[in-house]
Amino acid sequence: MATRRILAAFAALSLLTGCAGGSGGGYGLRYYRLVEPGPREVARGSMVVTPTIRWNRAPRGPDQISREENWTLNGPLLDGLTFIGGLEHDKRIVQQRRKADRKVPNFRSDMSPPEIGGMIESFYRVRAGANEFNVTGLQPRTFAGRPGFQYDFEYLGGDEVWRRGRAVGAIVDGRLYLALLDAARAHYFPAALPEFERIAESARLRR
Amino acid sequence: MSAWHQALPLTRRAMLGGLGCAGCAALAGTAEARIRPADMKPLVGPGHRPTAKDEQGLWQQYERVEEEIAGSNLLVRDAALAAYLGNVAERTGGPAAGDLRVYLAHIPEFNAFMAPTGFMVVFSGLLLRMRDEAQLAGVIAHEAGHFLRRHQIRQWRDLKRKTAAMNFLGMAAGLGYGATGIYAGDLVRLAQLGGILSIFSYSRELEAEADAMGLKQIAATGYDPGAMPETWQQLIEEIEASAEMRRKRPKRGYSLLATHPAPAQRMADLRLSAKEVTTPRGVERGRDRYLKALGAHRKTFLDDQIKLNDPGASLYLLRNLAKDGWNGLLRFYEGEVWRLRGQRGDSALAGQSYAAAIGFADAPPEAWRAHGYQLLKDGRRDEGLAALRRYLALAPQAPDAAMVRHTLGE
Repeated sequence: MATRRILAAFAALSLLTGCAGGSGGGYGLRYYRLVEPGPREVARGSMVVTPTIRWNRAPRGPDQISREENWTLNGPLLDGLTFIGGLEHDKRIVQQRRKADRKVPNFRSDMSPPEIGGMIESFYRVRAGANEFNVTGLQPRTFAGRPGFQYDFEYLGGDEVWRRGRAVGAIVDGRLYLALLDAARAHYFPAALPEFERIAESARLRR
Repeated sequence: MSAWHQALPLTRRAMLGGLGCAGCAALAGTAEARIRPADMKPLVGPGHRPTAKDEQGLWQQYERVEEEIAGSNLLVRDAALAAYLGNVAERTGGPAAGDLRVYLAHIPEFNAFMAPTGFMVVFSGLLLRMRDEAQLAGVIAHEAGHFLRRHQIRQWRDLKRKTAAMNFLGMAAGLGYGATGIYAGDLVRLAQLGGILSIFSYSRELEAEADAMGLKQIAATGYDPGAMPETWQQLIEEIEASAEMRRKRPKRGYSLLATHPAPAQRMADLRLSAKEVTTPRGVERGRDRYLKALGAHRKTFLDDQIKLNDPGASLYLLRNLAKDGWNGLLRFYEGEVWRLRGQRGDSALAGQSYAAAIGFADAPPEAWRAHGYQLLKDGRRDEGLAALRRYLALAPQAPDAAMVRHTLGE
């Protein structure tokens, strides 16, 4: 039921925003799939992660890039886990019109960690209606056995809900690999964080 | 990344709605003679209360809207700034001086709107674009003009006469859920739809009235009336600059303007009227007072705008603010605009701006960080590391300090 409402809302938003719906086949016709615990290939097989509880894999959204995969525990309004795997230099992290007034910057392989954080911040401001966005931490962290970063943030969305997020990632051979948790600050973020940490720690590149 | 809770794409077009929208009004009239400020008399007195039944109904709805807005966590919580805005409204509000309430919403849009009950919502993006208090007073006086001339109820009655807009009130008040199940009551959406929903956009005649009424008020208060046409000009130029940078026509902005008062006509009227009410004493700009009231918020609001990565609009507004002089803050954000745009050659431009920014005493710590990483990219390692050390010295508690220390190899 909730899913239907979300889909209806999203379809309506897409209409309003004039999104073309890049995935084809109509959004409402694709469904969530259960992800069982155990090693999983994600983001077009670019990484292997090992969840320890059941997740729901989200159908591909119209704005989604092909190197991305989204999971959720309680529905995307409450929590979401995003994997981006093997994004090349000068590629975008979200589908957008070339001439859009406001654009999320493309990924560049020479980005410094603050710049990657800034790119993520722009995504939330431009595409997720975040009016307030606070970076709460940026520190070095190993991801998939490579030197990377951990980026923590919180933001107030257009729906007036505070959310928190953590992105853990690394640039390997000029490509971006990332796992990102984004959830309502009240309850859902702290509830999902331990599992997110296990998944982030389990991430391995598969090339 | 998912953006399920995404708002509608933000458009600066929407700001036309609040700031004297030419758009889509129900009362489209033919070209009319300019309305002279001298002819504008307030239609409400102090402590105005509705007497007619329909107006009472409208008020009831808006009292609920105000309750929601007053409790919204999108408001900027700064008592001093709120008091300052209230004070400007009081100075320019004429007979309604004691009745106006101003809410400041943290939304990076150039917009403001006036409710029929006497409360006004000003968006942070508007404050960012004002060069001084006179410009701000012009916008507030324009909005107050809608209230003083009872535009909301006049428009509402006219609309009722002309259409069977059954849902109009519900939509306008933003209290209901639309057919889609999307809650239409949040401020962000109000900001964005300001120019589309007819509630906050008025006919040419009513806009011209509000212009004239507002001009009369700010002139009477002693502000430079020339600030008002300036603001309108800035708005038009920013839309053009944004479109130009993306190599496209400012089409929607123009179609709105084209079907309605030609912007040129309105500008001409505003300038003429401004001249008419300019007196030797009407020259106050209040720039220092404005900057002091805005304080650290200017940086926050700049940050909001620049990170939307709308390079044409952002550069325009930076350069507009810099007419009063460049400083470290504006130069740093100029660099950020180039860096975010990320086209060929932009990195070098960004580097130049960062280098210029740190030459100012008021450069924000982030300018040193950006300068440092830029130098590292350019292979100037020692200088880059020195700049990053400077950043840490200025902002030892920065949330990214651990990462920068790592870069420094500490």
